[in-house]
Amino acid sequence: MEKEKNSLNRREFFKGGIAAAGTLAVVGTATFLLDKNAAQSMPREDFLRPPGAISEEDFLYGCIKCGLCVQICPVQAIKLAGAGEGLGFGTPYIAPRVQACDFSCDALQCVETCPTAVLDFRPFKEEGVRAVEKAAAEPGADLSTVNPFEVQKVAMKEAVRMGKAHVNRNTCLAHKGEGFKGNPREDNFEGVHRSPGKNEVSASPLRDRIFDREVCDLCITECPIGEKAIIQRRSRSGKKLVPHVLDGCTGCGVCQMVCPTAEPSIVVEPF
Amino acid sequence: MASDYFSNAKKKSPLTPKAVEQMPHSLAGLSYKEWRDSKKKNHKMRNIRWAFLLFMNLLFVASFYLDLSVLEGSLSGSRLIGFYLMDPYNALQLLAVSSTTGYLAMLTMNFWIGLFTILIFWFILGGRSFCSWMCPYHFLAEWAEKVHNYLVKKKKIKERTYHIGLRFVFLVGFLLLAVLTKNLVFENLNVVGIISKAMIYGPSLLLLWVLAIILFEVFVSRRFWCRYVCPIGATYSMVGKLSPVAVKFEHDKCGYCLECQKVCLVPHELWFVKRGAATQDVHFVGSDCTRCGLCVDVCPGNALTYSVRGASSLL
Repeated sequence: MEKEKNSLNRREFFKGGIAAAGTLAVVGTATFLLDKNAAQSMPREDFLRPPGAISEEDFLYGCIKCGLCVQICPVQAIKLAGAGEGLGFGTPYIAPRVQACDFSCDALQCVETCPTAVLDFRPFKEEGVRAVEKAAAEPGADLSTVNPFEVQKVAMKEAVRMGKAHVNRNTCLAHKGEGFKGNPREDNFEGVHRSPGKNEVSASPLRDRIFDREVCDLCITECPIGEKAIIQRRSRSGKKLVPHVLDGCTGCGVCQMVCPTAEPSIVVEPF
Repeated sequence: MASDYFSNAKKKSPLTPKAVEQMPHSLAGLSYKEWRDSKKKNHKMRNIRWAFLLFMNLLFVASFYLDLSVLEGSLSGSRLIGFYLMDPYNALQLLAVSSTTGYLAMLTMNFWIGLFTILIFWFILGGRSFCSWMCPYHFLAEWAEKVHNYLVKKKKIKERTYHIGLRFVFLVGFLLLAVLTKNLVFENLNVVGIISKAMIYGPSLLLLWVLAIILFEVFVSRRFWCRYVCPIGATYSMVGKLSPVAVKFEHDKCGYCLECQKVCLVPHELWFVKRGAATQDVHFVGSDCTRCGLCVDVCPGNALTYSVRGASSLL
């Protein structure tokens, strides 16, 4: 009796086990097929990985999709991808035209909070320490002139490389020699940012800001990195003052968010 | 009581069943039927548990929306007042993939702290307690189960059961898939994570998958996902194998009515409640038990109670 029951039990297990293995095989094949598309489609324009993201291949399995980076971002620049992204579903991304990363957290909190280090904090930490050491070694440096926290903060954010901004010369107002007056975005635009020129402590809505520039230079004045990332210079003909992106660009996308043309004339392209 | 942990109670020879005059209903002076149905309407533990489950899940939502910073993240990975917590099966998959790609060394100290904190925490509280006290899918499935049981009772559908060990086929299978495809495959099908994230970050199309599973449970097999599939539950059942917090069974209070098995998610763990099955005066429910308390609520003789194993010998 007992023996009969056991063998029945075993048969039941094998029957179920085969069905389970079949299901797993289907799921595995589907994942494999989706995987090919996923690696090609991300990252891309308007789908930047947050600061410190490791290679996309490792990112897709390393990210456990917990959303801690989303929650810590003070400007809510980080979103989680929808089901349309296939295997990238639930992974974090930044759409800079909607809300750029303006570094107003000051300390790359999304990177530091990531438990699986798909946003890897170590390089930034090292960069920060190096910068402090360098500043302290300058002749005549002391605590009254060097604030280690400030130095570290700046060095860490300057080490970010989400992508690099590219200017579209055909639509850029400065390239056309035009100025800009008013608010750069729609009246109901919800994006926020901390303007470097205004000495703000935290970010404020972009729609509250009115600009008046003879030659449009919003991307240059609003850049959180400054002259290491973007400068104004004479165009080749020498007649116009135009924005020029340098290698220090972090790809944060603030320029893309504040650009007043209907389609942004400066766009971050991921590496 | 240390022997409870290691002795194989199932293999021992059973105790002699109690005679009628020793049965709890006779001692209480009630008819058997009266006695059996006396706690049918008792839902005390269930209500406490639902309140706790909803509170914790809403705490996740509130932490994000109101910026409370109490319980951040989601059930896939979170931070409780600054302390990291990791979903163990998620972590297991990640470790499996990482070991083949050399990514292992990248994992942060917070990851390890979170993983071990959750393992220790749920080890003490009984492994699968996570399922019934935290898991939002469990909550939905309990309602689906009610509908399912109604349909079975009305003979609209036939009950289908499978082998309880299938969970471990899925547990190992999804780990293998993770390694082979270099992807956290299960995380995309994980109804727990999908519901948790839908509540916190907004709904997504994957809720359709959850709906499909729930419909399957309503019309085909009772508690299919929790019983036969969920590798998270299977992981927790391994974690809770020797947990001190467990449901205790006392043979002298039992009336062999089997009401507890009817409400139980894992009736095989209550093998000793049948007349002539118990081998000891006291049994502890095994590691598949979610400590949901439905049996504690329904037991007319209070033979099933929450207890801490070994506490009596310590005190």
